[in-house]
Amino acid sequence: MLKFLRRLAGHVVRGLVMIWIVTTFTFVLVRLMPGDPVQTQYETLLSKGMSPDQAKAQVAVTYGFVPHGSFWSQYGHYLWQLLHFDLGRSVRAQGVSVTTEVLSTAKWTIGLVLAGTLLSFLFGVVLGVVAAMRRNSHLGNGLSIVGSLLHGVPQYVMALILVTFLTVKFKLFSTGPVDGLLEPGFNGPYIASIVAHAVLPAVAFALSSFGGYLLSMKSSVVSVLGDDFILASELRGIRPSIIFRYVARNAILPLFTVLALSLGFMVGGAVFIENAFNYPGMGAMLVASIGQRDYSEMSGAFLLITMAVIIANICADMLYTVIDPRVRRGEGA
Amino acid sequence: MRKPVVAVLTAAGTLATVLAAAGCTDSSSADGGVFTTIDGNHPINVNAPINPYNQASNTFVGYNTMQLGWAKNSKTDPNAFYPGLAKSWTETPDHLKLTVKLQPKAKWSDGKDVTAEDVKTSAAMSFTQGGGAFAVSPGAAGGLGDIKVVDSKTIEFDQAAGSANNSFLRNILSMNVIPKSVYGPQMPADIWDTIKTATDPKAAKADQTKAQNTITSLGKKLVDFGPKKDVSAGPFVLQRVNPGEAVLKKNTYFFDADKIGPKQVVLKNYSGNEQIWNYLIAGQLDAAPYTSTPTNVVKKIVGHKGNGTVKGFSPVAASLAFNQSYKPLDNVHVRRALAYLIDRKLTTKIGEAESGTASQTTTGLVGDAANAWLGADGVNKLNPYAHDTAKAEKELKTAGLTKSGKTWMYKGKPFTLNIQAPTGFSDWIAGSKSISSQLTDFGIASSVKTSADYATYLSEIAEGKYQVGFWLTALGPSTYNAYARLYGPSNGWTQFGAQVKHSAAGKDGNWMGGTETANVPGLGTVNPGDLTNQLSQADEAKQKELVGKLARYSNDQLPAIQIWDYVNVQFTNTTRFTNFPKDDSDVLRLSPGVWMQLGYIKKK
Repeated sequence: MLKFLRRLAGHVVRGLVMIWIVTTFTFVLVRLMPGDPVQTQYETLLSKGMSPDQAKAQVAVTYGFVPHGSFWSQYGHYLWQLLHFDLGRSVRAQGVSVTTEVLSTAKWTIGLVLAGTLLSFLFGVVLGVVAAMRRNSHLGNGLSIVGSLLHGVPQYVMALILVTFLTVKFKLFSTGPVDGLLEPGFNGPYIASIVAHAVLPAVAFALSSFGGYLLSMKSSVVSVLGDDFILASELRGIRPSIIFRYVARNAILPLFTVLALSLGFMVGGAVFIENAFNYPGMGAMLVASIGQRDYSEMSGAFLLITMAVIIANICADMLYTVIDPRVRRGEGA
Repeated sequence: MRKPVVAVLTAAGTLATVLAAAGCTDSSSADGGVFTTIDGNHPINVNAPINPYNQASNTFVGYNTMQLGWAKNSKTDPNAFYPGLAKSWTETPDHLKLTVKLQPKAKWSDGKDVTAEDVKTSAAMSFTQGGGAFAVSPGAAGGLGDIKVVDSKTIEFDQAAGSANNSFLRNILSMNVIPKSVYGPQMPADIWDTIKTATDPKAAKADQTKAQNTITSLGKKLVDFGPKKDVSAGPFVLQRVNPGEAVLKKNTYFFDADKIGPKQVVLKNYSGNEQIWNYLIAGQLDAAPYTSTPTNVVKKIVGHKGNGTVKGFSPVAASLAFNQSYKPLDNVHVRRALAYLIDRKLTTKIGEAESGTASQTTTGLVGDAANAWLGADGVNKLNPYAHDTAKAEKELKTAGLTKSGKTWMYKGKPFTLNIQAPTGFSDWIAGSKSISSQLTDFGIASSVKTSADYATYLSEIAEGKYQVGFWLTALGPSTYNAYARLYGPSNGWTQFGAQVKHSAAGKDGNWMGGTETANVPGLGTVNPGDLTNQLSQADEAKQKELVGKLARYSNDQLPAIQIWDYVNVQFTNTTRFTNFPKDDSDVLRLSPGVWMQLGYIKKK
């Protein structure tokens, strides 16, 4: 137990250092981006009919939230705010705290990508096993080809195809997160609407990512099938269903790591999918904030994504010691 | 193994279909119907406050945000307005005093009367945001000097001493009106004393600065403030917001409620033009404001049952602007040669076929406005710069360029031209490619470069990194605003009160790098920045004279070449609603919420 805690503490310290490094890197990077947000808003206001001095005054109010001063003073201010769990204020959503913006968009992303990831994992693992067991049949070959092809289709292409055919041409689904005319709250129609609106983006996510799980699972199963202990089990006359369990448990181990890391990346969202389906998640927010050079929002979003990935890494590492006895034994030795 | 897989897929498909059906609602069931559109000013943000002074707010102009008046889409008169919360108004000929009478029946959605005190509170709020009539700098041109509540429905505005700005009325009538009962408690009791100190040129400098700082910090606080519940004087009041849309319901207290057809308005969220186009192609929107839309997309949109377009005047032009720090672009003959070389009709056909018309010539104003100000005769006297390669050749030779084979040379090297446009502006990129091709065919090696996005483009053009780039000009109907695009900060002139100063190329935002004065045949030496500044103070007759000079200057000196004038193209769907404004209506730049106030849009 003590070793476990020591190991966990080591991970946490390394994680915090990593978060600081990435945060600093992000802070520098977003400020190196070309493009002046003040100038962009000024031009937009002019094109809406404002006079130059009105536009200038409006921009001054909007960007009054942005800390001024030297790079180092801004960096110090940013770190000080971070220590107080304050991510600053959004410029795009004038004056709204970035924490509010990030958290309100993260919940949509997590729901969507969690559903999509689990769906793709489920399909990928099941079909991967089928493809491995029937690897010399048309079914096995067909599944492998379909998995490879879909894995090669970028998410944005998949999203655009589904949007075009299922929401625009044949109006079977709607874009957006929910039907706004429904009374919000914990009631059947509202929840059904949320789920209904999430189905297509989740399917888009699953379709464009399950191929990877399928191919990995197939490869892993084929590898385990060739192991001596499987041959020994067959020779000892163990029932095929039990042998299948041996195969599945051993073959799925590497995929758990991939799944855990995917769950970490899910906070970053499926940027293209969210944009195509007009889904109000972190990805869509990130794109909008980059377009308007909203440094606070960008930094806040990157920080959350970084933290999620690092936490997922730690969890995957710790989980591995639990689910793989060989690692546990190695640790005990 | 095959059967379970098929079963799982079938079950998932069935579930999706059932859930999709469960999420559907009948949007036409309510009396008066549900009007679905988007807000062209900004997407929906569920976290934004219900505060019309916040740029991302959940208030929507014309629906639950009211102004004293609604600006008409006039070609020449920026002071032409429809009544809003103001029933009528009178302005003295010198623009110094404005008296506004409010709609006698105007009420807030909580049942309280809209009074002159609400307008005064709105003026205080506007001061905290600054600009226009509400600039907090002492002696600012066109600033509000005094405000007086005459009675509960009458209010007087006096322009600050020392200026007689012709945009005073426009700035006052365009003010968003907010309820004193909600915003008043957020403001300090002595706010008007603070405003007076901040704007009084006679006040002690230290007091003035302190007052200005107080107003600035108050502005930040107030713009962040959002009441929990919407209190609207408009035809609608906010019912709810979710990340996908904002829903507004009819405000029964609205003074002209009988005119309002729809019972609800849904404003859908979007993250880009593509989403708006998809909504339109699917027939989901009853109306959508102007977005630059490619021809093939327009065809798809109007192909849907009930969809159509309404077209009208737009006071915006797309121009090719020069950075004259790059030689030989500082030579007017070279700029004229390029104007002769660019076939504007062809370029417009390729770049902006649906919502653009080739510019008649370069005047600094869009064609319709130029014709209105100068008369057809006045415009015809200007050089039309019709496509003419012989004249272009002559101009280049006058500028000292020579020809080597098919290539035009400047000081022994090929004359090359890089045209810049931002990624995402498909019309500008297509137009640039057309121009580049025309110039290259003529012997001027030309290429098109794209910037990563608009923010990068604006930043880099201001840093002087581009030779030539697309630039929005002629931003009317205010002639001052239109000419400030060519002879404002981007070309070196900055306004200080009633004066202007000129900065050298590369300084204080001057990236166009034009000369401060130039000799124009028939006009003599002209300082266009000075003339532009005079426009803000001039009466109509004087404006006509100034516009005449500036149009001739622009046409002769060509700091930019106007390529096309935009056309305001809006989409409507007549399946659920009817009685939309017609082509060339002067309400086309206003929101459908204002259209409803004016009696348009009825359920079919």
